[in-house]
Amino acid sequence: MIEFINLSKKFKEKYAVKNLNLTFNDGEISVLIGPSGCGKTTTLKMINRLIEPTEGNIKINGKSIFDFDEISLRRSMGYVIQEIGLFPHYTIYKNISIVPELLKWEKEKIDKRVNELMDLINLPRTYLNRYPKELSGGEKQRIGVARALASDPEILLMDEPFGAIDPINRKSLQDFFVELQKTLKKTVIFVTHDILEAIKIGDRIGVMKDGEMIQFDKPQEILKRPKNKFVEELLGVNRNILRLTLSKVLDFVKKDFRIINKDEVEEIKNFNNFLYIIKNENNYDGFILKKDFEKGRECIREIVFINENENLLDTIILLLSKGEKIAVIKCIERGIMGYVELNDLIKVFEKEEYELSN
Amino acid sequence: MEYLLNNLSAILKRTYEHLYIVSISLIISMILGIIIGILISRDKKIASIILKIISILFTIPSLSLFGILISILSPFKLGIGKFPAIIALIIYTLLPITRNTYTAIMSIDKGVIESAKGMGMNRGEIIRKIIFPLSIPLLMAGIRNSFVLGIGVGTISFLIGAGGLGYYIFEGIERSNNNMIFTGVVTISLLSIFINYSLYFIEHSLTPKGVRK
Repeated sequence: MIEFINLSKKFKEKYAVKNLNLTFNDGEISVLIGPSGCGKTTTLKMINRLIEPTEGNIKINGKSIFDFDEISLRRSMGYVIQEIGLFPHYTIYKNISIVPELLKWEKEKIDKRVNELMDLINLPRTYLNRYPKELSGGEKQRIGVARALASDPEILLMDEPFGAIDPINRKSLQDFFVELQKTLKKTVIFVTHDILEAIKIGDRIGVMKDGEMIQFDKPQEILKRPKNKFVEELLGVNRNILRLTLSKVLDFVKKDFRIINKDEVEEIKNFNNFLYIIKNENNYDGFILKKDFEKGRECIREIVFINENENLLDTIILLLSKGEKIAVIKCIERGIMGYVELNDLIKVFEKEEYELSN
Repeated sequence: MEYLLNNLSAILKRTYEHLYIVSISLIISMILGIIIGILISRDKKIASIILKIISILFTIPSLSLFGILISILSPFKLGIGKFPAIIALIIYTLLPITRNTYTAIMSIDKGVIESAKGMGMNRGEIIRKIIFPLSIPLLMAGIRNSFVLGIGVGTISFLIGAGGLGYYIFEGIERSNNNMIFTGVVTISLLSIFINYSLYFIEHSLTPKGVRK
């Protein structure tokens, strides 16, 4: 648990951070968001004393950060920054093992941990002998995350870690990080200026302006009840749409389907299910609806697959862009889990809007 | 060619003398240059002032600089000989080393230093494990430039009685002895080329693999 007690930072005579009193819960991702110059990065850097607070205190599990020496304080936390900051003259292996080396771990323990981390971030172990310049931006940032996790710290500080990555890779890094957090349960302080990112990954969001904390709350609460005009503007006009990112498709799944083999298509007589997915060995050829069955093969449609963690907004956008009305949920471990209909998803949107106007 | 072979031991002696003056000045200039380079990397304003002063010194033509040194050092009876030559060589070789040290430090990615700090490296560890290895390529290039430059200027320092390979060129001109001039030119050129390539080789092998081009 990280507590801020009357925390302030002054640069010359001006407050960069003003009188923060907050508690960050264990195992949660707390996102700090706000326009540039709002003090979010300064706040983050005070936690590991890269910037020394002018007034007030920060307590970690009840112990003041001033009771640690700053070097061992920093070694006890993971730190990821936008520039990634991998050491260009070190191999990936050496980059990941920096903190364990500083902590004087034994060779075997470091070896084991590095391999474990490569599996965790889903990169091949053959990368370990490469140098950072041989990796793509997204891969480098995964290594950056692995490096921060190397000594298995309880706390992870992340300063716009995905900010410099292109939108497609950023989305996959966000998905990756959300998945990772489910197993790791670290206490994460995450700085961003991207509201979509904040809503997507945050368990709690702190909106900052001019060094002050305007609102610190769960994403749903912030979207439902923005505290003032500033927060409302930050969320933008599409606040209602943003709320769709908080719902998962799995809540709308329908299971009225059957998987049939390619050669069974003509043989089936009793059309009991709403939807038939046509399997061709290890692939899926397409699907066919009950109502279209007698029309035969030409009504087989291409399947839009989504994964089980997908949120409503991304699914709706995907379906609209493909011109389809049905998406099939496919889970890597468990195969096909069911399907969702665009109409159901849009109805939710109307309901959400209704709730908001009340 | 015959002249060259007949005077081989004298030539080697003068080569040694030449290298001696240049090396002494280069060692002093390396110590000074690296220290100044590191110190000025903390403040851009001071850095630009110091670098400007060193560049101005660098642009003084070598003959004038010897003249200036003679007039300054004569009262101490140090106006001619090896001492003013070494001072002049230090002044000339200081710029490439200082500038390259400074540029090397400044060109290290800020994110690398920041993350090193954030991961809990102390000042010494940051200098040893990051700044130093990453500065090697540019620093070595500066030393190489300085050395080659020093060999050239060292030739002229014969005129103020510092000895060295300049003897063959200047004496050769005086006596209209083409063999002597030829000997001087060839030895100095070979020396420069040899030094340049051996330092280049060292530079390359000291450059960490991950930052090689």
